[in-house]
Amino acid sequence: MSNLNQIQPSDPMSTSLIQIHSLTKSFTKGQNVITPLDNLSLEVSRGEFLALMGPSGSGKTTLLNLIAGIDAASSGKLIIDSQDLGSLSRAQLTKWRSVNVGYIFQLYHLVPILSAYENVELPLLLQSLTRSERRTRVETALELVGLSDRMHHRPNELSGGQEQRVAIARAIVHDPGLLVADEPTGDLDRESAETILDLLRSLSRDLDKTIVMVTHDPRAAAIADRALHLEKGQLVSQLQ
Amino acid sequence: MLSLALKNIFRYRLRSFLTMAGVAIGMFLFTTVETMQQSLAKVTRSGADDTTLVVFRENRFCPSTSRLPEHYLASIEQVEGVRKAIPIQIAVNNCGASLDVITFRGVPPGSLLEYNSDLEVVDGSAADWTKRSDAALVGQTFAQRRGLRTGDQFEAVGINVYVAGIIKSQEVQDNNVAYVHLPFLQQASKIGLGTVTQFNVKVESAEILDPVAQKIDAIFSSDSHPTVTRPEKAFFAETAKQMIELIGFTRWLGLGAVAAVLALVANAVLLIVRGRLKETAVLQTLGFSRFRIARLITCEGLLLGLLGGALGVGSAVLFLHWQSFTLGNEGLTLAITPSATVLFHGLLVALALGFTASLYPAWRASRQPLVESLNAG
Repeated sequence: MSNLNQIQPSDPMSTSLIQIHSLTKSFTKGQNVITPLDNLSLEVSRGEFLALMGPSGSGKTTLLNLIAGIDAASSGKLIIDSQDLGSLSRAQLTKWRSVNVGYIFQLYHLVPILSAYENVELPLLLQSLTRSERRTRVETALELVGLSDRMHHRPNELSGGQEQRVAIARAIVHDPGLLVADEPTGDLDRESAETILDLLRSLSRDLDKTIVMVTHDPRAAAIADRALHLEKGQLVSQLQ
Repeated sequence: MLSLALKNIFRYRLRSFLTMAGVAIGMFLFTTVETMQQSLAKVTRSGADDTTLVVFRENRFCPSTSRLPEHYLASIEQVEGVRKAIPIQIAVNNCGASLDVITFRGVPPGSLLEYNSDLEVVDGSAADWTKRSDAALVGQTFAQRRGLRTGDQFEAVGINVYVAGIIKSQEVQDNNVAYVHLPFLQQASKIGLGTVTQFNVKVESAEILDPVAQKIDAIFSSDSHPTVTRPEKAFFAETAKQMIELIGFTRWLGLGAVAAVLALVANAVLLIVRGRLKETAVLQTLGFSRFRIARLITCEGLLLGLLGGALGVGSAVLFLHWQSFTLGNEGLTLAITPSATVLFHGLLVALALGFTASLYPAWRASRQPLVESLNAG
């Protein structure tokens, strides 16, 4: 557990998808400077399933948001698939996100007025695809999460577990290499949580998706290839 | 994007309906005012194709105080530049400003269609009118307002007439009056044969309106019945000054309605933006750009404006069409008639209002901080 802020990938032979060097995120709140992420370095292999654990305020969601490209670091380097995110403008980052990242929220965040099909279709509206191309992709994604028979249901007609599966379908429909999940099982019962974790596991194993998941649940962390523990913005331990 | 915007609008049906109802009321008022303004412009603004002069008795106040010998016609017809002239006796139910003015125009039965060649009999027949001495050819707007049809008998201003036909004309005034036989009206209104209210005179071209008017007045200046001759529209503009001022004032009401609609839509779209803070952040996380978010919000504002506007403008046009309001003054009438231009203009204004009102909310939505919005309670 020496120099835990310089943790190397689990398989030194594999190519890293995510390379993080001395990443710091700080902001001012009133008179105080808060540093949720402090000089963190990390590498994540392509196709790896990584779990981030730690108490509230440890910086795991901040790290997740930086990796997802929805927040900007104060200093350090964050390179994903050879792309230095710090060098991208806001518009470029948005474009990059629409192609490379699938985000899974704890509370699903589906658009309530849209059906499961339409929710999953949303990321595809940003790409130059025909209607039939979009249909094929949406149907495939929904089939993958086992919800082909619920595609015309609205979120309020689905259970929590089904909503999260729709959210996963929305995250993978544009075939991004990286999936980030912020406590994806945090709001689910045990049975639904296991279904979601199995799904994430198979996405990593069968489709070679790189997954970074924030979780408080040790059972969820146990199915990941690697689990990192954060405290006060720094990595403190690693489980493999 | 349009389908998403439409779905968002119908997501909160009551709120959207109330906003659209507010827009509709504002645009109803705006369209009514616009219709009044445009109808007024039509009867008072002279154009290059206006070649009609009206010869009245000097110092007349009302048609009833304008009495001219019918034999003036021969002298008028001889004035150089005069193409046609027709003696007219007028009887009105109200000489002042009124919302429901009824005007009879008594003309020589053989001269009407010859003088006014663009007069079209849309129902009944001109021959029936010529044959029957108590017959009337009723203007389309007048007939619609009073619910008259061919074959009806009606009484107004103490005169009982038979409707021989319904007419329409390019001349706005013709659509608001009932044409009857001159001798019949002279006797029925107790003016007596040989006396008329005015002469309508058509001249060769608009450029010679003033010289011809001067020549006509010069002929009768020393007579016991001196005349004042003016273009018909200029006459209306002068006699209906107060009415015109009143209608001019309504422009402010129209502008007020537009301002109210602008504030209403802006407020509604701002509430939409505030209510969807997290949802917008989710869309941005998925890769929706700031511009795309702004476009979505603008689209909703446009739709609210357009749908509410279409409701308001459409209902105003239908209301004015069915009600056929006619303002009258000194025997001349102003029909408040909606037109395609007003309809188009109203829709365009509603669209522009929706767009303008949603600019600031769209800017706000696109600028909201992503991570803070995702974490917002």
